[in-house]
Amino acid sequence: MNPSIKLLLLFIIALEISFSLIISLNIALVILAIGYLLLHHTKCRTIGWLLIVPLLPAIGLWSTQYINGTGNKTLMAWVLFTRIYAFVFTGATFTLTTNILQLADSLEQNWHLPSKFAYGVLAAYNLVPKIQHEVKIIRAAGLMRGQQLSFWSPKLYFKAILVSINWSQNLAQAMTSHGFVEDAPRTHYRHCPLRWQDWAIFIVGLGLIQLGLFVIPWS
Amino acid sequence: MKWAKAWQLSDIILIALIGIFFGAIFMGTNYVYDVLTAALAPVGLSGLANELLLGLWCMPGMLAGYMLRLKGSATLGELLAATVEMFFGGQWGISTLISGVTQGFGAELGYIVTRYKHYDWLGLTASALTTTIVTFGWDLARNGYFKLQLWLLILYFVVRFCSMFLFGGVLTRLITDMLDRSHVLKSTHTN
Repeated sequence: MNPSIKLLLLFIIALEISFSLIISLNIALVILAIGYLLLHHTKCRTIGWLLIVPLLPAIGLWSTQYINGTGNKTLMAWVLFTRIYAFVFTGATFTLTTNILQLADSLEQNWHLPSKFAYGVLAAYNLVPKIQHEVKIIRAAGLMRGQQLSFWSPKLYFKAILVSINWSQNLAQAMTSHGFVEDAPRTHYRHCPLRWQDWAIFIVGLGLIQLGLFVIPWS
Repeated sequence: MKWAKAWQLSDIILIALIGIFFGAIFMGTNYVYDVLTAALAPVGLSGLANELLLGLWCMPGMLAGYMLRLKGSATLGELLAATVEMFFGGQWGISTLISGVTQGFGAELGYIVTRYKHYDWLGLTASALTTTIVTFGWDLARNGYFKLQLWLLILYFVVRFCSMFLFGGVLTRLITDMLDRSHVLKSTHTN
């Protein structure tokens, strides 16, 4: 399915369930999402991991409503508990089956996002492992001088920004010297078509969520 | 796409890199969040963990708006940080993206109401306040805050603003002061 259409559909679903108070709908979304993930050969371990990770915040939200809520406390507590899982699993159907490269291609080719944004962000994204390493280096360099750089130390962020400025200029130069011209028309090696099937799935999905929200009398 | 013209390739890469760097640093704070949530859950105050740390997570947007001084830089800074986080550390899925939009727009709003002229304490305080209001409005729905007792809502709001002001305001100012003193921004940004 076209990545940007899939993202839009999931975005709308996430927005709508943020305002709904239907527990069964949240659970139905989780089950549908697990089915979709299994169809796409996601490992059971990954799905198990997705069940464990949100448990602590979900319990936190549950207990907040249960102890300090007003009105129907039990209902609201379970709505929020299941809503977190609905967010996580619908989100996983996107992040576990689509990568950022496909999304950037789709946004650029189908929605005319200026190519400098698509490729600029991709260039930065590919440095993620290097960035994690660099943070360790900055911290280690601080320790050698007896400075403990914690997440509230301005110096840690200052050094990270210095590195970012340096790398961003190098990367931009490298891209320009390889023929990348800002705002110039481009041809594409990877094509990302937007077919009528994508729109069909989008409209059906959108219809189903409205059905679940407003028509089906969940008990 | 008039606003896009002001952006250069190196600005876009810079803002994305800063978002990822900050994300990598914040990963080290996850244990603080977990411990606080676990400790406060039995008394039903686990939201405080979120409120205390939220300023930190909103910092990329506020800092980008303050540092780059381009229209849309706060929104874009936070949105890019959220997009990368969604793919990379992404257990929160799509709601990360929605949070990114609300946090970024909240930060931007502070610079909009001060007409992109006050890059001082006024602008920072305005940005901290609007970020607090916009994100709080969103949490009324998403985290079911509208069902909470009033004293708790007020407590959460005040703690959230303090966190925004401390991390997004004071820490941002300390960082940008260091950048000013080192004259690194002169070569990239003239205004």
